[in-house]
Amino acid sequence: MGAAFSMSSLFGKLFGSKEVRILMLGLDAAGKTTILYKLKLNQTMTTIPTVGFNVETFTYKNIKFNMWDVGGQDKIRPLWRHYYSGTQGLVFVVDSSDHARIDEARTELHRIINDREMADCLLLVFANKQDVDGAMKPNEVTEKLQLAKLKDKLWFVQPAIAIDGEGLTEGFGWLSDNIKKMPKYGGK
Amino acid sequence: MASAEQPLPYVPRTNSISAFVEAPSSGGHRRSPSTVPTSKFAADMSQPPPRPARSPLPHGFNAADMDRISDSNDKDKIASTGTGPSSQHSSLSAPPPKVRHDPSLRRAHKPRSQYPRSSTESHVEYILVASFDIDRGPIMEHQYPVAITGDEHMLAELMLPDQAHVRNQDWTVFFLHKDSSQEEDDAERQAKESRRARRRRRRDREKGIIHESDDEEDGDEDLDDDDDWDDDMSTDTEPEGGEGPPLVYVLNLVNTKQDKTVKRGAVVKAMAICTRHPFLHIYKPLLLLALEEYFKSPVPETLSMLFNAVNEMDLSLMPKLSLLERHLLQASDNKDLFVEKFERMIQARISEETAEDVADQPFDASRSPPKRPGIFRSGTKSYIETHTGAYAVPRDTHEFESKVMYKGIPIPIKVPVAVMPETVGDFSLIKLIQNFSDSHAKSPQTFPLHPHLTTNGPTTHPIIVLVNALLTQKRVIFLGHNMPSGEVAEAVLAACALVSGGLLRGFTRHAFPYTDLTKIDDLLNVPGFIAGVTNPTFEHHPEWWDLLCDIPSGKMKISSKIESAPITEGLVYFQQQNPAYANFINGASASSGSGSSSSNSAGSQTGDLTGDAAFMADILRFIANRSGERVVRAKWREWVLKFTRIAAAFEETVFGASALYIGSDGDEGGSRGNGMAAMGHGYVWADEATKAKELAGNVTRIEGWRNTRSYYSFIQDVAQSYTVRPLKGLDLAHMHDRLRTQKLTPQQSREIFEAFYNYVWSYDEICLLLSVAPESHAGLFYIALGLFHKDRDVRIKTAELLDRIAEHEAGQHWWRSLSRFEKLAYVRIKKEVEQEGKMGREGGVVSPIDSKRVS
Repeated sequence: MGAAFSMSSLFGKLFGSKEVRILMLGLDAAGKTTILYKLKLNQTMTTIPTVGFNVETFTYKNIKFNMWDVGGQDKIRPLWRHYYSGTQGLVFVVDSSDHARIDEARTELHRIINDREMADCLLLVFANKQDVDGAMKPNEVTEKLQLAKLKDKLWFVQPAIAIDGEGLTEGFGWLSDNIKKMPKYGGK
Repeated sequence: MASAEQPLPYVPRTNSISAFVEAPSSGGHRRSPSTVPTSKFAADMSQPPPRPARSPLPHGFNAADMDRISDSNDKDKIASTGTGPSSQHSSLSAPPPKVRHDPSLRRAHKPRSQYPRSSTESHVEYILVASFDIDRGPIMEHQYPVAITGDEHMLAELMLPDQAHVRNQDWTVFFLHKDSSQEEDDAERQAKESRRARRRRRRDREKGIIHESDDEEDGDEDLDDDDDWDDDMSTDTEPEGGEGPPLVYVLNLVNTKQDKTVKRGAVVKAMAICTRHPFLHIYKPLLLLALEEYFKSPVPETLSMLFNAVNEMDLSLMPKLSLLERHLLQASDNKDLFVEKFERMIQARISEETAEDVADQPFDASRSPPKRPGIFRSGTKSYIETHTGAYAVPRDTHEFESKVMYKGIPIPIKVPVAVMPETVGDFSLIKLIQNFSDSHAKSPQTFPLHPHLTTNGPTTHPIIVLVNALLTQKRVIFLGHNMPSGEVAEAVLAACALVSGGLLRGFTRHAFPYTDLTKIDDLLNVPGFIAGVTNPTFEHHPEWWDLLCDIPSGKMKISSKIESAPITEGLVYFQQQNPAYANFINGASASSGSGSSSSNSAGSQTGDLTGDAAFMADILRFIANRSGERVVRAKWREWVLKFTRIAAAFEETVFGASALYIGSDGDEGGSRGNGMAAMGHGYVWADEATKAKELAGNVTRIEGWRNTRSYYSFIQDVAQSYTVRPLKGLDLAHMHDRLRTQKLTPQQSREIFEAFYNYVWSYDEICLLLSVAPESHAGLFYIALGLFHKDRDVRIKTAELLDRIAEHEAGQHWWRSLSRFEKLAYVRIKKEVEQEGKMGREGGVVSPIDSKRVS
């Protein structure tokens, strides 16, 4: 029965249609769904709280992204782990203007990337809502999130204003460049 | 509401599982031949519970009845002779042919209500409202009349399905496994007590003893159905729920409203109705209205208004049908079938109301209810319609019409009259079958082989793979990404009904019509489940399921991590006993070597040993011809029935005995019992080779089934229904199938026709006979062939049998659709008999036959 599966991934290699699975997480109201639909539709949508998840597929720099956006209310955070397996990139979205909850964000982020299933994945942090007065700068976010502590992990912090689309291309540019370098890309 | 309650299906599972394991005999593990209970054992096990002889005899008893009883050694039949207060048959139909025998035998039990007014149970037990809090996620807002115990948060999560935010409206269904609490038990006991007391008082009064408190008496003596009702609770053992208390079914409506004035721009709220009725879909219009109302006034009063409205719905005039009757009604398209029961319910109600009027007057010792001329006399449908207004017989007896008054608006409600076990809510088998057949027809799917699932090789039809997976208790997930959760729930409910066929149980109890990631850990504790999800992340976890049914694409996927099927004793024995057919067994022979793999795949693909490929082609043709849901359900029921009968034949062949069929040896005793046993039983094949082939095609899934919950509960049901079943020793289906499929000598067919004539008398016995000769097939055609038998006495007996059937409440419809040719033969035979009678030979025709019966 394994035969059917290996065949399909062989075709995947030949035609380069392999999807990259990206998981986007972050505290509630950080701007995850806005980023997803800005990327997918290049439109700013008025979003409402996500019940469960959103998932969309889009192509950027010849890579097909299958991007999952999972609701961030604290009660439903324990569900995040079910989305880990098979994820190649984590996009963590931070509301840079929310000083009060930046420590909460750090705890959640470290919990995710310490999971065995997330060991090999890339980490892109969007320091979102840079347009808000008093928002933390990218280096401040890096520091608060204690990213320097991460060993053996490729990470990148990108300042962003999701509602204007600012910073998103840069962030995904970094992501695609590094995905192409991954030995796994093109089929497991 | 005590701590015993569990809001969700998972935890009590351990209990139910242990119940399965202890099931009916021998440790619950695979039966070795030595531990297979023989038919004899099973018969012993089900020794009829000492049923107290019924006295006083039901009204309407007469000498003819007594005769009947005295020559019957089966006490159960007495129960079937109870007749209504009026000996007048109120049927609309043209009078059936005249019969000599007492017609009351063929009358149904006095009709009882499915949901009597005196019942303490309410239609709806709880109303819940939940909302999605932007800071906290799903929360429960209100519950009415009291808080449903258990994990409130988990309930709120179920009420707000994944992606509720992307659609304005969504329906979901889920089940709660809630034990009836101590309080409810007490209430039940009290209700029973008071019913007993009422009866006692009434009996006393009949004897002339007068109690002080008689004023609350509720009916005249013609209406003593309380008696039956109570018996119903304690001794009517038709297999129904089985393991544990009935499930609580939850119908939930969620609405998302964009609202600029609130933080983050939207309000998501859900309202749910919790009921123990399987027909929960009837509440849909009410939930729509009530949730709308709740958005306007989010207060508990909105819940209580709905609660009171639905519980005031009156279903008390809906007659209760036996399992056999329900089966007949389900399988029939006839809109008048059992209309008499509805009429009698109404008559009883009218006379009850008359009696209530009387009760207001001072007590009168003579207590003869004032006869309202007309009511008792005629009682026809047209009478009831024109003269009482409030009471009307439904246009289609499949649906009982009622209404719910909500905020002064009458909402019409149609309740299904015959609900088979494992049928919950509103779904369509046709939709399910088409969904997974269309893409298969375009580009046939090839499955990796699994002995339990791919019984016709790699191109087994997906629907058969699904049914096989459910029969062998696999973990099945229906995935509907971007679909309303109501649609996945519908697919799950349809799958349960598909595999159950109204015969097998234990599927809805382990079904999760809608679930999500929050419940995954609990879900995985359930061995064998059917779940509906909308989150495609399930697809990424093949370790969570055995079969994934993707609804949007119509494709099924067998998990790469599915457990392989063990080699079982039954399989090995079968191969040893049938070396010639060993190679035909799917999948298994791939490992048994000797170059069999090519012949194997050829055999399973082209041979269609199971007959499933032909069956599916048949079903799809029926669907294409717009035969309708009822026909398709009936066809599936036949498929499941056939599967159980083949499984019984397999066990008898391989192990020498089967608990799936209980035969006649045992209590039936005497020449009569032996005669019955000699009629044979079980599935009928044209010849031995056909039998061996079909068994070979089925052996792996039968072996996969033989260790499951549905297998053990089926054995329990067989044993239990044996105690209430009419004609215990006789397998009518077997006899009818022989007439249908085999070439019989006149002597052989004579035996069958005579057995029908000798044993099929009472109301229930005729129901049973009708159920093996459904209208959708040939109806009475094969039975009526006896009218052309070469022996004259067989012809006459068959005509007599048809008389009985034509007299029968349901049988009259079968009689009417008999072919003209056969009806003419009937008339001719009747004429002959009549002329002989005129010639003055005392009892020339009837009595010899009667004397035969007595002997």
